[in-house]
Amino acid sequence: MSDTPSHVPVKYIMPKWIRGPQDFVGGLAMVAIAVFALWASSDLQGMRGFSFGAGTAPRMFAYLLLGLGIAITIVGLVKDGEHITTYAWRGPLFVSAAILSFALTIRPMGLIFSAFTSFLISAMGSPETQWKQTIIVGVCLTAFCSLLFPYALGLPLQMLPKFMIR
Amino acid sequence: MGDVLSNLSLGFGVVFQLVQWTPAFLGGMSIPIPVNILLCLIGALVGTLVGVLPGIGTIATVAMLLPITFGLPPVGALIMLAGIYYGAQYGGSTTSILVNIPGEAGSVVTALDGFQMAKQGRAGPALAIAAIGSFFAGCVATVLIAVLGAPLTKLALAFGPAEYFSLMVLGLIFAVVLAKGSVLKAIAMIVFGLLLSMVGSDIETGASRMAFNIPELADGLGFATLAMGLFGFAEIIRNLDAGGESDRQLVQQKVTGLMPTKKDLKDSAPAILRGTVLGSILGILPGGGAVIASFAAYTMEKKLSKHPQKFGRGVIEGVAAPESANNAAAQTSFIPLLTLGIPPNAVMALMVGAMTIHGIVPGPQVMQKQPELVWGMIASMWVGNLMLLIINLPLVGIWVRLLRVPYRLMFPSIVVFCSIGIYSVNNAPTDVMLAGVFGLLGYWLIKHDFEPAPLLLGMVLGPLMEENLRRALLISRGDWTVFATRPLSAVLMLISAFLLVLTILPSLRKKRDEVFVESEN
Repeated sequence: MSDTPSHVPVKYIMPKWIRGPQDFVGGLAMVAIAVFALWASSDLQGMRGFSFGAGTAPRMFAYLLLGLGIAITIVGLVKDGEHITTYAWRGPLFVSAAILSFALTIRPMGLIFSAFTSFLISAMGSPETQWKQTIIVGVCLTAFCSLLFPYALGLPLQMLPKFMIR
Repeated sequence: MGDVLSNLSLGFGVVFQLVQWTPAFLGGMSIPIPVNILLCLIGALVGTLVGVLPGIGTIATVAMLLPITFGLPPVGALIMLAGIYYGAQYGGSTTSILVNIPGEAGSVVTALDGFQMAKQGRAGPALAIAAIGSFFAGCVATVLIAVLGAPLTKLALAFGPAEYFSLMVLGLIFAVVLAKGSVLKAIAMIVFGLLLSMVGSDIETGASRMAFNIPELADGLGFATLAMGLFGFAEIIRNLDAGGESDRQLVQQKVTGLMPTKKDLKDSAPAILRGTVLGSILGILPGGGAVIASFAAYTMEKKLSKHPQKFGRGVIEGVAAPESANNAAAQTSFIPLLTLGIPPNAVMALMVGAMTIHGIVPGPQVMQKQPELVWGMIASMWVGNLMLLIINLPLVGIWVRLLRVPYRLMFPSIVVFCSIGIYSVNNAPTDVMLAGVFGLLGYWLIKHDFEPAPLLLGMVLGPLMEENLRRALLISRGDWTVFATRPLSAVLMLISAFLLVLTILPSLRKKRDEVFVESEN
């Protein structure tokens, strides 16, 4: 999502005539989303007489967003505004990795394994993590979740890895 | 009047309903259990528990706990969810008083005087007054919902698709006007939400829209997925960014002397009253009801006070007014949801999501066809508030201890808990990944000063708006002037246009920003 490298101070990348870089980039992103939506809905049917087709409403909203995006971009050009704050990489990276790991392992490996591993991966997202403590809490949380979701809430979740069930 | 009483008694009947429980180990003996009261209690407690955790706001709490209500019957689920909602609000005010970290925008102003009081060793009275004020506001709001519910429902039933569409436009415009920050950006977020709601299949033709042949997208983006990504995951990433631990200044003294003095009570009584009135009015308006209510109540109290210079240094009115306004608005914001079926803010949008998952389409017809559902929830709010008042004050010690849980242990737990929650909705790993993507998107939006709450509102209202727009134009045979020629619709559209013009006028914009300025001092 971030369109700028994390450690370079962004204000030096942006030319001076952009007075509100935060709005400028934000507006451009909205324009990009709108254009993408217009492309994605281009194959849908439009108006048939006076009744809406499947593509009418999506395109309407996309054009609206396009207009708003352009307006925000212009505001970013002419009005003094915030600079873009730097993005951290550590938090987003490890939290996303933990989510991804959970999504990939829950089916083949079961809840216990995937909950515990994704706990450990996301713990790496903070430089302050103390491993002994983290592992203890991870074990407790995994145990708590394996009791709460399938038993207390009655949700059908597979606990153990597939190869162990067979 | 008789109507109101009979409706409320129906509601209390539902809340106090006993269910016979016949466990096998008792050998056929059955025990009557007040299931709904228990659910209300659990909801309120769990809501407080999660709401107390610093850095997790009300929306994130409700989004995170949404999955635990899926297995329940609809009435129980909604009662529990309502409990989670006001529990979370209560928890939010506790954190802002004790740690100076407002869990959500609505309790930002509470932190101003509440935290100062806590520093002076008067955390007890501050918490007690917050609870008493909230309870009083809750009582008034409950009665107000009961009184206004039926007539508004009748009005709503007279609405045609054109009126409905105009009403939703008005609601969204209100949300923009009452929100903080740039008007343009807030509107862009709403439209982005509307656009996201278009993903999936078309209601009328069944054509697949913007789904890219991904089977998981064929039914549209999951509501819980989006909410948990935008509010759960994004919050975590953002908090990690801010370096969670460093700015936590926890009050280390023991919280002693819960009871407010007579003077405290005397000082705060008028503030509570004024806060309740202001909150109730602002809550009914669509938009960020609870947030603006607390800011406006604080500003008003400061203006009316004989000693405005003391505000911000720990005066009890500075806690009493915003907390009452906050709670009054939080509860009256159920009115547009229950009577018109239109969620006025992001939390109510989550309620709509929950109702839809249980197969209930919110709107005036629910009030008529399933009165026990609506009135049961309303009555449960009163009972829940009473329970919070009684239970929470003695539990303050536990909440304080929870505040000491370091963020480095808390955030991985939330990541795992949210992941399991999202997965359990549809047993779909793709949903978890999508939530992750929305988490990153939410982080980017926050970084660029876009509010994610209007996005959620747009996402929920999208299908409704499209449907009503289509119908209105079909009935009028493609004539776009219906929105202006039908009187009710014309009035609603005029108000929207008027509001929009007002926000663009520079002088009024300054006034609007002034209300929010308190938090920055």
